[in-house]
Amino acid sequence: MKVKQLTIDPNWKSRLTAIGYGYHTDNEEPYWIDDYYYEITNSEADTIYQATAEVWDMCLKAVEHVIANKLYHLFHIPGHMVHYIEQSWENESPSIYGRFDFAYDSVKRKLKLLEFNADTPTSLFECGIVQWNWKNHYFSESTDQFNSVHEQLIASWKEIKPYLKGDVLYFSCAKETLEDLTNVEYLRDTAIQAGIQTQLIYIDDIGWNGHAFIDLEGESITSIFKLYPWEWMVHEEFGHHIVNDIHRTQWIEPSWKMILSNKAILPILWQLFPHHPNLLAAYFEPQRMLKNYIKKPILSREGANIDLYYDKELIYATPGDYGQEGYIYQELATLHKEESGFSIIGSWIIGQEPCGISFRESTMPITTDKSRFVPHIIKH
Amino acid sequence: MRKKASSTIKLVLITSVLASCGQPVAPAEEAKQRVFMRADSTAPYTEVTKDYRDQHRTGGGMGSSLLWFMAFRHIGAGLGYSNNNLNPSSVSGTNAKKAAAYQAKRGGFGNTAASSKSSSFGS
Repeated sequence: MKVKQLTIDPNWKSRLTAIGYGYHTDNEEPYWIDDYYYEITNSEADTIYQATAEVWDMCLKAVEHVIANKLYHLFHIPGHMVHYIEQSWENESPSIYGRFDFAYDSVKRKLKLLEFNADTPTSLFECGIVQWNWKNHYFSESTDQFNSVHEQLIASWKEIKPYLKGDVLYFSCAKETLEDLTNVEYLRDTAIQAGIQTQLIYIDDIGWNGHAFIDLEGESITSIFKLYPWEWMVHEEFGHHIVNDIHRTQWIEPSWKMILSNKAILPILWQLFPHHPNLLAAYFEPQRMLKNYIKKPILSREGANIDLYYDKELIYATPGDYGQEGYIYQELATLHKEESGFSIIGSWIIGQEPCGISFRESTMPITTDKSRFVPHIIKH
Repeated sequence: MRKKASSTIKLVLITSVLASCGQPVAPAEEAKQRVFMRADSTAPYTEVTKDYRDQHRTGGGMGSSLLWFMAFRHIGAGLGYSNNNLNPSSVSGTNAKKAAAYQAKRGGFGNTAASSKSSSFGS
């Protein structure tokens, strides 16, 4: 796994804009990297695939454990949601996707799970479309990439389609978020290709008529994909309506994903699968034997409020407004480092299948919303 | 194993609509084209040509391109986007069901995002 340079396409920004990718730079700082990339071997791709499949399997067992033992207090899940979550798990309410973030230790050749973005993962469009187009622009047709995101999305929607309620699957996100809207519209695009009738509605335009959620035309919403965090929804004004809704609207991602998107799942995984080669030691309380570790809020986003301790000394911290629900303590991972920065691997599980990876790179060893997206290819 | 690159990719929604964002509108076309809108098939039309052109000039990505229709709607109570150039009569017809839609409570989701400085609420 190594970084390789390219002679940059002088028209790279317009090339990306032409495929509908409008947030490749952030205040003149590139978010998308076009002129260098990661080259990985077939064997490394196999390793990532196997780790993703194995960790996904462990995650499902961990959800079962949390529900069976009613450990909701560790996750700060509100009481009114407990029965609803249990029902969504028992009914096998479908999930479309999730993204595992792994650290890769190039010396030991080990992947370690940093966290699971199970509820509202983004960068799907970058991975499935932009990265694929980038490969075809710079390389021959025979060049490979760990990336079947697009066809796996369509295949997964086709599997989910018979279980959807109603005729229309709504897609929703917050207003004025081009990144979220791009991801939602990409998902909607693949659902349309799977033969599903869709409609877009902003999350704040969803209505409540006293017994059901409705769209702007007054039609009942019975199935909806939302790129909006469960932990926010349940505490907002309509949060209590989720459980009172006469249609029992099918939310995708389903509510049982609240367990997996919460960082409290990391100590649970470590308890259930101690010393598993793809896990980092993680605890609910600080541990004397942990010298190098990360303190993470159980609910936080985009690398906010992370404290990094080295030899028990705080050496780096990110700002943010999270942490009131509590923290977990996770062994410090060794991140892959190149001259361009530290990188982590985002590995997508779509349906039940690992099907695509992306690299995010940062100058500091914590990935934030400013981290750069670096494309990759598989070496011949 | 699905660790191979997709062989072909087709986008039905995004490329057809989004890739047109930022395309300059020909002046001749601007002069000729008039746009009328209504939110309900029983409501009268209102001309919104100027608003439609403004949306296209901004080139603001898919938000303005895909959702320009929503941008003109009066949802009431400050919800949704609205534009006072669109006569309120054009958003409320005689369809009772749709009229009831305006009575529904809205804005019960999304407040956390509204108070956040982030440009994305994903992870």
